[in-house]
Amino acid sequence: MSDTSLRGKVAVIGIGLSAVGKVPGRSPLSLAAEAARNALADAGVAKGEVDGVLSSHAFASPFHRFSVAFSEYFGIRPTFSNTLQVSGATAATMFSIGAAAIHGGLAKVVLLVAADSLMTGLTPDLALRSLTESRDQQFEMPFGIPVANTFAMTAHRHMREFGTTPEQLAEVAVVHRRHAARTPGAQQTAPITTADVLNSPMVTTPYHKLDCSLISDGGAAFVLTSAEHAKALGIGKPTYILGCGECYTHEHIFLMPSLTTTGAVESGRRAYAMAGYQPSDMDVAGIYDCFTGTVVMMLEDLGFCRKGEGGPFVADGQMSYGGQIPSNTHGGLLSFAHSGMPGALFHFHEVIAQLRGQCGQRQVESAELGLVHSLGAGFATNATTILGTEGTL
Amino acid sequence: MIASEDSTRKPLPAPDADTTTFWRGLRQGKLLLQHCRRCRNVQYYQQATCRECGGDELEHRPATGRGKVHSFSVVHRAPGPAFKADIPYAVLLVELAEGPRMISTLTGSDSEDVTFDMEVELAFDQVSDEITLPRFRKV
Repeated sequence: MSDTSLRGKVAVIGIGLSAVGKVPGRSPLSLAAEAARNALADAGVAKGEVDGVLSSHAFASPFHRFSVAFSEYFGIRPTFSNTLQVSGATAATMFSIGAAAIHGGLAKVVLLVAADSLMTGLTPDLALRSLTESRDQQFEMPFGIPVANTFAMTAHRHMREFGTTPEQLAEVAVVHRRHAARTPGAQQTAPITTADVLNSPMVTTPYHKLDCSLISDGGAAFVLTSAEHAKALGIGKPTYILGCGECYTHEHIFLMPSLTTTGAVESGRRAYAMAGYQPSDMDVAGIYDCFTGTVVMMLEDLGFCRKGEGGPFVADGQMSYGGQIPSNTHGGLLSFAHSGMPGALFHFHEVIAQLRGQCGQRQVESAELGLVHSLGAGFATNATTILGTEGTL
Repeated sequence: MIASEDSTRKPLPAPDADTTTFWRGLRQGKLLLQHCRRCRNVQYYQQATCRECGGDELEHRPATGRGKVHSFSVVHRAPGPAFKADIPYAVLLVELAEGPRMISTLTGSDSEDVTFDMEVELAFDQVSDEITLPRFRKV
């Protein structure tokens, strides 16, 4: 491993959530500050020690420089900061850029923080319109293409090429709901069946309402520092960043190289290579689940099963407890919460909590290695992170 | 980004330096594709340079307008008030005979009848003096 590799150089020493789900009356800044306070308390680090802040854009906030507005609101004056935007993949890039900044000497303690209030601050209708209207004005928008539509076309093509069934997609939603039932604070916990999913209103074929993720309020925050500084601070169970990878293949859905094989293959390959581990080594995963079919395709592209076998893999229970890769044990975007850009940070929170052994009745036994994959914009953006305990270094 | 105020009107493309020729072509009943003289790449959408080789020897040529449905999704929940009256409508990812794919919507037949690999042809939908949208109908 070369000196420039990020592998094991940076540790996550604090994690925190804000109130999540339907949280009326709270601005994205207020939610972000709550998550940040919780993450710093978890790390045992004072806010004055934070010299770097990375955030993502918040739809319900007027501040384009969210990280700057946050720092003022939180009462800190960082010397490294940015507001990142690669849609759903932003979460993983916060970790890789934060780690690179620490390893490169730009900052010592970096706070990653994001929050949004899509449900009560913006309303679901406006949230969906904001996402729709951030597409191409000439070659996409005139045709009335909802956010779900591009993802739906990939899933539809997957069904065509590999025989994936609506029932298999529905099973993804059912598994997530079962997981969320064990998660305190999850937005949707009432059990559902595949019939419930298939009988829910059609949004855009093949996706029914229950194939689609939630719209929520909430935020999450993390504290990163170097492995050495984590030791000096006496952190009990640091979680190490072992591998990072990204891949950006297109912007317009009509220029996506393949509708059924995504940039996650390359982002995953790079992350595994940096970490020195393989898909079969992973104990737990957080997989961006904006729609049910997305999960099926990501399980394939990240190497947990062969191309085209994601549907049967899920239906066979392989993404839950006792299966090959227990994934989204908190319930994911489909049932825990989806507050936009922070959505995948909830996956990071869960996977890190799993690696620390803090998940109580959700705990995956002896979880040492975890993968988080975040993506966005109809698979235009992909970013993979591999995390591990001290024993995996 | 906060959604625009007037969401009851369908958004219309605003042609720019890259795309004026393309939209003029549609007004005249032609779907223009850019052909690169240097590397033979055929591209949709229009811009000043070839996305493959970076060259600027691009030539606009009318497409046959024929293609087949690579994928599709029938919209039942409109992305805003402007499209509510149209549901259900089929969004098509069409693979043109010349190679490039483009996105559009079906016109002239029932959205429930769309199938993969269905043969389609261009239908010119004049929505304003300036703008004619390229839609597709079943062959």
